[in-house]
Amino acid sequence: VISCADFMTEIGNYLDGDVAAEVRVRLEAHLSHCETCQVVLDSARKTLQIVTDSGSFDLPQETFQPIADRVMARLREAKT
Amino acid sequence: MSYLREAEVSSSFPPFEAFREHFGFVPKIYLAQTLLPRLIEAEAALVEAVLFQQRALSPIQKECILLVVAAAHDNVYGVTRHYQRLRLIGMAEQQIDRILAGHRQARLPTADAGLLDFALKLARHGAPISQADVATARAQGLSDESILEAILVTAWANFLCSLSTGLGVAPDFEPREIRHQPPDFSAESESTEASIGPYLTTVENGPGGYAAVLQEQFGFVPNLFRAQTRRLDVVGAEIGVLETLLFTGDLTRVQKERILLVVSAANRNTYGVAVHSQILTTLGTPPDETDQIALDHQRARLPEEDKALLEMVRRLATEPHAFGRSDIERLQECGFSQRHVLEAVVMASFTIFLNTVQFGLGAKPDFTPRRMFGPAPPKKAHLSSPEPRPTPREFAVDPDAEAIAKVRGGDLDAFEVLILRHSKRVYRTLVGILGNADEARDAVQETFLKAFQHLGSFEGRARFSTWLVSIASNTGLQFLRERRPLDSLDDDEFEPDGFRPRQIRAWTEDPEQFYSRTETRSLVEGAVLKLPAKYRVVVMLRDMEQLSAEETAAALGLGIPAIKSRLLRGRLMLREALAPHFARSAKEVAP
Repeated sequence: VISCADFMTEIGNYLDGDVAAEVRVRLEAHLSHCETCQVVLDSARKTLQIVTDSGSFDLPQETFQPIADRVMARLREAKT
Repeated sequence: MSYLREAEVSSSFPPFEAFREHFGFVPKIYLAQTLLPRLIEAEAALVEAVLFQQRALSPIQKECILLVVAAAHDNVYGVTRHYQRLRLIGMAEQQIDRILAGHRQARLPTADAGLLDFALKLARHGAPISQADVATARAQGLSDESILEAILVTAWANFLCSLSTGLGVAPDFEPREIRHQPPDFSAESESTEASIGPYLTTVENGPGGYAAVLQEQFGFVPNLFRAQTRRLDVVGAEIGVLETLLFTGDLTRVQKERILLVVSAANRNTYGVAVHSQILTTLGTPPDETDQIALDHQRARLPEEDKALLEMVRRLATEPHAFGRSDIERLQECGFSQRHVLEAVVMASFTIFLNTVQFGLGAKPDFTPRRMFGPAPPKKAHLSSPEPRPTPREFAVDPDAEAIAKVRGGDLDAFEVLILRHSKRVYRTLVGILGNADEARDAVQETFLKAFQHLGSFEGRARFSTWLVSIASNTGLQFLRERRPLDSLDDDEFEPDGFRPRQIRAWTEDPEQFYSRTETRSLVEGAVLKLPAKYRVVVMLRDMEQLSAEETAAALGLGIPAIKSRLLRGRLMLREALAPHFARSAKEVAP
């Protein structure tokens, strides 16, 4: 029988679909009667979705032109 | 509730007790068959073997197959029922919606996405699975036992769709609107030749009891059952349904064999047509007459009512969208009773089940087919928006190859193109590692200078963008060690007891709708920046940059187990940090 702690150690692999079939069956059996793990799995999946969709740390493209200019200046300098 | 009346059954009718125990209620599709309780018993045994028995596939995987196949057939009864079932066994509505909208975009594990691809392809009658499809499924991590179960569950899904349409069963719950976009398989190479199986390995079970039963009832052991010896419990239950259909009830055996023949022909199932032609011949129908029934029953020398019976099942198999109460009424006008109609609909639906299993397994015909059916022309109805299949990474041409070649050839300006193309990504990686925007900009510059220096050692084994991210990671880590030696990335202290979740309130269904994009973004950025660096780096590379575990391990010089455990910890910490903002009561009460 799988405990909640076991479920927590496998939840990452489960989200990434990286568990063997027999482990998956056991995890889902646990899931079918454990409300806490259902909540954690559901919210972990949503977390992942929010984090990937959030566009976090994206800067507008024009921010990078000055950086590119500096790099190119250094490279041209080195070449001559 | 359906086109036919229901009969009283005892409240302790065993199949209904089993359904109540398993589903929590008796689905209306079985109530609609109470005129023939023995049939329900036989179906319940098959449900037990195919759905309730836990072997290779999980209940969620099976329900997902049932759901997408029902959706592909536009079957409201099935979509409604399997949607509810998936919710009940723990899948979030949002995820179910995503799977319906297109499972290839639903972030499903590769094996699960492959499973649904396989099931959807198989569920479309007349587009036989080939050895290549089975090879693809195996490559996606599915065992032969899983593939066999997928075939059986898909066949059962097809059975339920046909049965619910044929009987006009009302949904068990508030019906759901179907918004479904199955992948377009027509763009993928599909064999136009009849594929020869069997595709799956079988297991030797010795002279099983099933063989003796078949030998006695049919005079031979059909290859269709030989190909399923891995699951003798299923074979036994299938034979049970077939026996009940063929040897009990009010329609004659010949009428039933004709249904098997006509529906198999409508499904272009060469195997089914060969078997049932042969059986009809042994029952006394001349071969050319059998051929005529398979080809066009309206022109066969049959009584009008028998033609009407065959026309009803043909329409059910090929035009389910147009099928309705009038099809049933027409039969009743010809003198058929409600029990006759029920038998005919179940017989037709079970033929679809058998045809689907045969298409999936590629079982060889037991008799030389008098007629070979090729795949049907692709059905266009549900395939309005073809979605390009993503090119596997290893075969894709690196979009940067041209610019890299130019830089190597001395064209310095081409490097600026590469900088501008990738600086966003490199910046994101670095801000994730360093947790500071100004430092990250400096590190971006440093990264591109290093990349230029080492361009000679870039071998093109990974994509340029991945290679660049690994340089960025190293640069970021170097900055971190120099500037903040205390924020260590290397210590992997032993953490004995697993992570205990503290926030355990359920989240809202659609968490992103409660905040503007800017708000969500700042919540995420805040939470990510608060993570300890060693977790933050892995979350950034895996979840933001979508690198594989292997690529991340290589970029950070860590082993895969370390990557996995840090990613898990990082994700769970992010979940804890975001939970107060997205948990249910916090947001849904206030307008």
